[in-house]
Amino acid sequence: MKTIITLSIICLAFMATAFGQEKYTTKTGEITFEASVPSFEEVKAKNTNVSAVLEAETGNFAALALMKGFRFKVALMEEHFNENYIESSKYPKATFKGKITDFNFSGLSGEKAFVIKGTFNLHGTDKTMEVPATISKRNGEVWVTAQFVLRPEEFNIKIPSIVSKKIADEVNVSAVFKLQ
Amino acid sequence: MKKKRIFLILILLVAVGSFMVYNYMYQDHRDIKSETPQLEITAPYLLERFKTNDGTGLLNKTITVTGTITGMEEGAITLDESVYASFSGKSSGLKVNDKIAIKGRCIGYDELFEIVKLDQCTVIK
Repeated sequence: MKTIITLSIICLAFMATAFGQEKYTTKTGEITFEASVPSFEEVKAKNTNVSAVLEAETGNFAALALMKGFRFKVALMEEHFNENYIESSKYPKATFKGKITDFNFSGLSGEKAFVIKGTFNLHGTDKTMEVPATISKRNGEVWVTAQFVLRPEEFNIKIPSIVSKKIADEVNVSAVFKLQ
Repeated sequence: MKKKRIFLILILLVAVGSFMVYNYMYQDHRDIKSETPQLEITAPYLLERFKTNDGTGLLNKTITVTGTITGMEEGAITLDESVYASFSGKSSGLKVNDKIAIKGRCIGYDELFEIVKLDQCTVIK
C-alpha cells in the first residue's frame, strides 16, 4: 500500500513538472520587415523559417531568425543587406529573448494584447525592448503576432549616405508565429 | 555627316550603358537548384561542425546533405534530428524513415532547436 502511494506521488510529481514545462514551438515563424521610402524602390524582405519557443507556464518567449533566410524581391538588395548592412557572415542570426508580462496561459481565450519585455540581439548588439504583442489560442495552437519599429542606428548598422535617402530610418517589423 | 555619326555612337553607348546598369541592378536571384554543391555531408556531421564553431565557412553555400527523415512538416523536412530543410517547391512522396539526399543553401545554426537550417532545397535522391 505504502509503495503504491509513494509511486503515485512520484508519478504525480512527474506529471506536474511535465505540465509546468509545456512548450509551444515553431520553426516556420514569419518575420517581414519594410524600410521603404515613397517613390523609391520597395525595401522589403521576408523570412519564413523563424524559430520560436513559448513556455506556457512562465510566459518565457524566445525567437531566432537566421539573417540569410531573409529574401528580397531584388537579388542585389539581398546581397547588399547581407554583405554591407547586416553583415550576416559575421552576425548570422537575430534573437529575441523575453518574458510576457502578466501572462496567464490557462486564462487565455480569444485575442489578447500583451507586452513582451526582453532583449533583442541583432548585428551583434543587444537592446532591451518592450514589444506589444497579440496572443491567442486556437485549436491547441498559440498565435503570437507583433508589430514594432527598429532603428538601424540602434544596432550599430551604418547605412551609407548615398543610399540613406532610399532606406527609411525606421524599419517596420511584423512577426507572426503559429506555435504548436 | 560627321556630327550625325558621333550622335549615333553616343546614343548607342547610352543604350548599352543603361542596359548593363539595369542588368546589374535587377540581376536574377541565385538558382540553388542548378548550382553545383560545394560539399556533400551527412546531417549529424553538419550539425557537429556548427556546434564546434566550424560551420561559418558553409554559410550561404550550396551543399548536399544526406540522412534519414525524422520529421515532416508542410514544405520542410528534418534529417536525423539535426538538419531542417525547407523546400522551394512542393516535396511530394517523402515519408519518415526515408533515406534521402537533398541539395540546398545553408543559412545557419539555430541554437533554439540545436538544428542547422537549409533553404531552397531540392531532393536529389
